[in-house]
Amino acid sequence: MIAIENVSKSFPGVQALDQVCFTIRDGEVHGLVGENGAGKSTLIKILSGIYPDYEGSIRFDGAARRFTAVHEAQAGGVATIFQELTVIRELSVAENIFLGREPVRPGGRLDWNAMWSKSREVLSFLDAPLDPRAQVGRLSVANQQLVEICKALVLNSKVIIMDEPTSSLTEHEVRQLFALIRRLKERGITILYVSHKIGEIFAICDSVTVFRDGRHIATVDRHATTQDQVISMMVGRSLSMIFPLRTSRRGEKLLSVRGAGRAGEFQDVSFELHEGEILGFAGLIGAGRTELARALFGAASLSSGEVILHGRSIGRFKHPSRALALGVAYLSEDRKREGLMLELSIRENMSLAVLRRISRYLFIRRRRERELVDSYINKFKIKMNSMDQLVESLSGGNQQKVVISKLLMTEARVFIFDEPTRGIDVGAKYEIYKIMNDLTAEGRGILFISSELPEVLGVSDRILCMREGRLAREFTRAEADPEAVMRVLTGGDAP
Amino acid sequence: MSGARPAFRKVLQLRELPILFYLAIMIAVFSIAVGGFFSFKNFENISRQIATVGIVSVGMTLIILTGGIDLSVGAILSFAINIGGLGIVAGWPMWVAYPFMLALGLVLGWLNGFLITRIAVPALIITLGTMNVYRGVIMVITKGRYITPIPKGYQAIGSGYVPFIFLAVILGVFIYISLNTRFGRNLFAIGGGEQSAVYSGVPVRRYKMIVYTISGVLSALAGLILVGKSGFIQPQSGLGYEMSAIAAVVIGGTSIFGGSGSVLGTFLGSVLMGLILAGLTMLAVNPYWQGLITGVLIILAIALDTVRQLRK
Repeated sequence: MIAIENVSKSFPGVQALDQVCFTIRDGEVHGLVGENGAGKSTLIKILSGIYPDYEGSIRFDGAARRFTAVHEAQAGGVATIFQELTVIRELSVAENIFLGREPVRPGGRLDWNAMWSKSREVLSFLDAPLDPRAQVGRLSVANQQLVEICKALVLNSKVIIMDEPTSSLTEHEVRQLFALIRRLKERGITILYVSHKIGEIFAICDSVTVFRDGRHIATVDRHATTQDQVISMMVGRSLSMIFPLRTSRRGEKLLSVRGAGRAGEFQDVSFELHEGEILGFAGLIGAGRTELARALFGAASLSSGEVILHGRSIGRFKHPSRALALGVAYLSEDRKREGLMLELSIRENMSLAVLRRISRYLFIRRRRERELVDSYINKFKIKMNSMDQLVESLSGGNQQKVVISKLLMTEARVFIFDEPTRGIDVGAKYEIYKIMNDLTAEGRGILFISSELPEVLGVSDRILCMREGRLAREFTRAEADPEAVMRVLTGGDAP
Repeated sequence: MSGARPAFRKVLQLRELPILFYLAIMIAVFSIAVGGFFSFKNFENISRQIATVGIVSVGMTLIILTGGIDLSVGAILSFAINIGGLGIVAGWPMWVAYPFMLALGLVLGWLNGFLITRIAVPALIITLGTMNVYRGVIMVITKGRYITPIPKGYQAIGSGYVPFIFLAVILGVFIYISLNTRFGRNLFAIGGGEQSAVYSGVPVRRYKMIVYTISGVLSALAGLILVGKSGFIQPQSGLGYEMSAIAAVVIGGTSIFGGSGSVLGTFLGSVLMGLILAGLTMLAVNPYWQGLITGVLIILAIALDTVRQLRK
């Protein structure tokens, strides 16, 4: 049993955790939910030994322990699987599993046979068909995560903390992960499952703890509560529905893609996007959706096919700047690497794509820049102290709004949103959906890529299913039900 | 009162503040410890010392802001004056020789930019290569010989406060450009997140080509001043300039990873290094100590920068 007693932690200007008290029972899957900034990450970092300075105490089976480093926590039986995986891509599965604890033979030589056989043992316990000698960098994210779990098992961990474990997984992989968690539970391992996704919490957890603004709101048995109750505890208000009502009407044709292909990634993709339409792209990871998006935006080149924008063939984009100039904007799934400059200010981030417009000759007109940025900050209610604040210091949802503002400033007509709600909290997700609605109400079109099935189905007017680089099927909003779509995505309907 | 406070706070937040503080301490210490340190004659001397490395450092700042680096600046400097020097001895007039030398700097800088943007290899490696190639070409052509004497006319640019005036003008221009133009803003953006910049439509390749080219021209210009100052040209000219320039940039508070920093900071960094070296020389400290002290300064500056990053 882990008893968290009056734990507080503050950073300059922020009370990240405020007198938090709750207990995690042995052998349960304990869900921890809360919006961004609720204090979940801070608690994870305390439990895993990254933040040794905090008030209050944490008791493991009655004994107070304070970990001052990650390896100490690991030795104490607590392993954490962070959202950003810590596997080393260049090394093999077995080397990763035994990293830092490699079995050696007399004389200090690595005992490869022991590593391989023990790795196989752990992998087969988890029912994972991985080769211990495979290079981790070549594995899917789901399998890399599995390697991390193996690491925790080899450490004889009693507690495994999983931080947003499904953020890069497809629905199918999520199910596999859940099966795995159940096995871990059978083995008596306690799991702290930290997530934004209420549905997952209810699918896998035995009890749920809700944080809000650094405070502990409640710990309840899963069967004694409902998703709506938990959501309202999280946000402090009740969301009447998760997705806003679609109101926009479909207009003229905006974009046609004919026979688009790129060697090894996707082939023969044809579709049309209309004004006022949200066209959803459902698919498993690796189905080629992001690759398609990048090629449509000019970040990679098409090897075949053509793109027709506003009725004119524009051939193929060679550089994103050309796509932006013609009114096509892309919101990357990788916000930190392909969306933001974390160490630059909100203002510098937002105005980057429209510097030409706010400049006279070569010189930036500061006042125009500030006015423009200010108008978007107000429009999207971005929470900040100053527009000169570094983007790094914003929450995920607000960071995403900064990227979206940057794209909107370009006055593009076609938007490609690739996983726009990844890693952001429920309230901010709803706001993003609303922004998408507003954009289409103004006659713009959106290609919407998401690996969360309910989201694709809840937001899109039409849904295109991609499987192994090809369009497998189109659903209208009315005919799309989750199971039918999932069957198409996983190939379950194949003749 | 209420109006003064935010202004005061702004001064406190200046990233150049720590280095200004160190500068003040240095000047105070040396003025007390060294007779004749606090004099116009001495400052003129120091200003000439600072000017050449200072000019090279400006170009280096632009490059480091984009997250790049250029190890070949000293080699470019040397190339420009050694090859240009052949023209000088051949009796070319200044208005031919000077533009020719600057053009050499431009071409070599451009070549760096071209290679860096076409080959997926870090700038560090590419410019390590070009540095050796440029220096190799110099040795082959000059066969290691000094070029001397340099006509009087060529020495004007290196005398009195002229070098410092060049530095001041270049500083003014590039401080303004870095803060107020699209070009400047895009340099920070590229260093802050290259992929994000590409996705925001920034022509990253073109801007990189431009900064390396600018750096090449500035290195050649520093070379002209060096020739004026010393009155001769040697194949080893500009040796170690790359390290001094990088040191000035880093001590001046620019992040070695790019994305944040300032041209002004670099200037203060080169002044600080110049003062320390001059002061130590006047104190008759063994020159062997100077390298050691510069090294310690660099590590201190980077450590400070890292601490600042961690605190965020």
